[in-house]
Amino acid sequence: MDRRSFIKLTAVTGGATAIAACSTSSPENQLIRFVPDEDLTPGIAELKNGVCPICRAGCGTTVRVMQGDAEVVRNGQAGVMTMSLAKKLEGNATHPVSQGALCPRGQASIQVTYHPDRLVEPLKRRGARGSGDYQPITWDAAIAELVSRLDTVAASGAQGLAALTRPGASSRNDLMALFLDRFGGQAPIAYELFSDDVLRRANLQSFGHEQVPTYDFANAHMVISFGADFLGAWNSPVSQMVGYAKMRGGRPGIRGALVQVEPRMSLTGASADEWVAIRPGTEGILALGLANALGAKNLGQYTPAEVEKQTGVKAARVERLAHMLAERKPAVAVIAGAPLAHTNGLFQAMAVNTLNAALGAVDAPGGLSFTPQAQAKSGASRSLRALADDILSGKGAPVQALLIDGVNPVHTTPPGWRVKDALARVPYIVSFGNFADDTSVMADLILPDHSFLESWTDARPESGTLMPIVTVAGPAMKPLHNTRATTDVLLDVAKKLKKPLPGLPDSFSAMLQASVGGDEAWATATKQGWVDVKGSGLKGSGLKGSTSPQPSALSPSFDGDPTQFPFHFLPFQSQAFLDGSTAHLPWLQEMPDPISTAMWSTWAEINPQTASRLGITDGDMIEIASAHGTIHAPALVSPGIAPDVIAMPTGQGHETFTRYASGRGSNPVKVLAPSVEPETGALAWASTRVKIARVGEPKGELIRYGTALREFEPHR
Amino acid sequence: MRARCWIVILALAAGASACTQAPVPANVFTPAHANTASAVRDFFLIRPIGEQPIPFPHKTHVEKAMLKCTETCHEAVTKGPNAGIPSVKTCMICHDSIATDRPLIMKITNDYYKKGVDLPWQRVYGFTPEVHVRFNHAPHIRSNVDCATCHGPIAQQTVAERTVDHTMGFCVDCHKARKASNDCLTCHF
Repeated sequence: MDRRSFIKLTAVTGGATAIAACSTSSPENQLIRFVPDEDLTPGIAELKNGVCPICRAGCGTTVRVMQGDAEVVRNGQAGVMTMSLAKKLEGNATHPVSQGALCPRGQASIQVTYHPDRLVEPLKRRGARGSGDYQPITWDAAIAELVSRLDTVAASGAQGLAALTRPGASSRNDLMALFLDRFGGQAPIAYELFSDDVLRRANLQSFGHEQVPTYDFANAHMVISFGADFLGAWNSPVSQMVGYAKMRGGRPGIRGALVQVEPRMSLTGASADEWVAIRPGTEGILALGLANALGAKNLGQYTPAEVEKQTGVKAARVERLAHMLAERKPAVAVIAGAPLAHTNGLFQAMAVNTLNAALGAVDAPGGLSFTPQAQAKSGASRSLRALADDILSGKGAPVQALLIDGVNPVHTTPPGWRVKDALARVPYIVSFGNFADDTSVMADLILPDHSFLESWTDARPESGTLMPIVTVAGPAMKPLHNTRATTDVLLDVAKKLKKPLPGLPDSFSAMLQASVGGDEAWATATKQGWVDVKGSGLKGSGLKGSTSPQPSALSPSFDGDPTQFPFHFLPFQSQAFLDGSTAHLPWLQEMPDPISTAMWSTWAEINPQTASRLGITDGDMIEIASAHGTIHAPALVSPGIAPDVIAMPTGQGHETFTRYASGRGSNPVKVLAPSVEPETGALAWASTRVKIARVGEPKGELIRYGTALREFEPHR
Repeated sequence: MRARCWIVILALAAGASACTQAPVPANVFTPAHANTASAVRDFFLIRPIGEQPIPFPHKTHVEKAMLKCTETCHEAVTKGPNAGIPSVKTCMICHDSIATDRPLIMKITNDYYKKGVDLPWQRVYGFTPEVHVRFNHAPHIRSNVDCATCHGPIAQQTVAERTVDHTMGFCVDCHKARKASNDCLTCHF
């Protein structure tokens, strides 16, 4: 016997012993397998249409659906069921907004459906509010309780029912508004931290359209962007990125130029040819200076020298930028984000409208236009701040019951608005969200919704294409859990009330069908995932009105004394989490921020000069304090920020938001002053001043791509 | 070969201790095997023979009931990669009225179908993920390969047994004989 044979023999005998010692039972034997509901062809993928639920861009998606095993609970028993499962989301290639592409947030949204901390059944509060102590109840009991509560509210006669809904135009929001209207409640409130209301108001005054424009980047030769992170997360990022790619590389011999004006370099700023670090709140002055240099009338006072004095941008640079704009036509100016979140936001937006008029960019190729849309604004609703004020002061109609549809204002409002205190005073709160978050832990009853892949969904994009469309899709898969579509719950409750609500549709899908028009349009919509709804009473894109800026506040006012609070505080929309609504998705937690490469954490960006002056090095814990609150965050020394600015991403710092986001990082909204832009009432989230101090050594809070994760370091 | 022998030796060294307890996550990440014993079993192509919930008589269904394999029970076989195993609903199409007095039929009716629970059939043939083979039934059915070529005399069996070893040589021989592609990417993709 040679050596090799000996080794083989021992291997065989030894291996046999090893096998005999371990009895192997297949995991399938230990689990209950439920009889599948549907006839499936294993191994064959089916592509279905979907609607991305993450932001209001309304992108159409393609859902790859395939047979798989899902862990489910049926009749109180846990087991496995073979069923059609959504496996992957991509952009719908025919869709005018997404054009076959999908952003990382959209890609990650599939984790909403399979999240381990999803709410899987109706819950009734057992412990104190905010404690998160709930007991499961049946749907029949839950609906009966809601109906009896609403009957009591209806009997009292006052406008006692209010609702907080998701932003954006959709039939879901229409149904909520209709429900409240028929019930005699208050108009629903859709609060957004990063709202574009200031821009909409400016466009109403300048152009007669209360909406966000659609920009024709693909045909522009130059874009000057005032704080608009249009390649990041603002507005309709997928369509904007597609247009930008065409502008930069889609035309042989022509490469469009991009100039980004902002005090903190965003993803768009990092992609730009030129980055102009302007003094916060003075972007409008630069826009008017450029308009003046381009020959706009009545702006004589905005000379380059005056612009330099006010904005800190050198006069020669102003002249050069104006020269560039004049030479490279068509050119367009974009404003969004922080410039609009000052107390003079409306002035800034209208100044950029003036610049666009001077550039001839309005309603022109390579410029900006407005998507025709039905101007069905459902009455003027109160702002969330006014609602909170009224609840706390006892003014107006008392809110006896509040419906919350998957939004989290406790996390996204400044402490000065006292939204949490106001919620605590509401006698009865019902939440429809998929997850327990900072707001829904205040609820008395939680009626979890299906995920967007399990129900009928739609969206009417405000921007991103000049075609007026409805993106619509049916369920891609059967529900995994004991949830119910919120739309069905509302319709069910409406029928069961003592005085059933009149004039509601029979079903939500019937409502969707009515919203797109006739049978032919519905057939198109269900086949391709969207439909053009041109010619059904839409307002065209004819422009009117003046573009001369007349709003009251010209110069910004900041909260906090500059001597005591020397830094401008600039929260910015996180690439991964937006305002925090996607912080529960682990793929997005794991996604490195494109500028800082940070993940699973928050950070505070600080200029290297400022950092060395204050003795702060990369990763040090710093304390950021305003007159309204204090937070701690690791410092990230970055050259892409002005010396007098501290910037922080939003999205982390949830008290309650699943295992992945709870207690992780800190929330910059908690130091913001409650200042608003006076004419729209929108939160001026960039108008707070802060002071900073180093409070400690790096403690592993800042996790960057390529470094060891804190969780895996053995000595911790 | 030498590398393989070393793997075996190392496997044996660790094998005895690893198999007596539940697999403990090791510091070294390996996607392939839960523990050393499973690696050893896989190396020698030793797989557990699953215990089926009932001794399903293939012979009776094919010969007496005259059912066609690909039309009644494994109908996905003509459409895609997997033949598919029918759910208890398919059984009840006939056994709602046929042979309802037999103990095993009563068992699947009462213990499974009426409770909404499916039969926990165990896989008999198939590839492990580590061998990186993707098999697709449909083209084989289209080119009239008989079921028995790969599954043996299953029409004569009661409980399905693995009688043919699906080694690479087995596949390649048949592909050669039938002039089918022997490109690596035909199966390994």
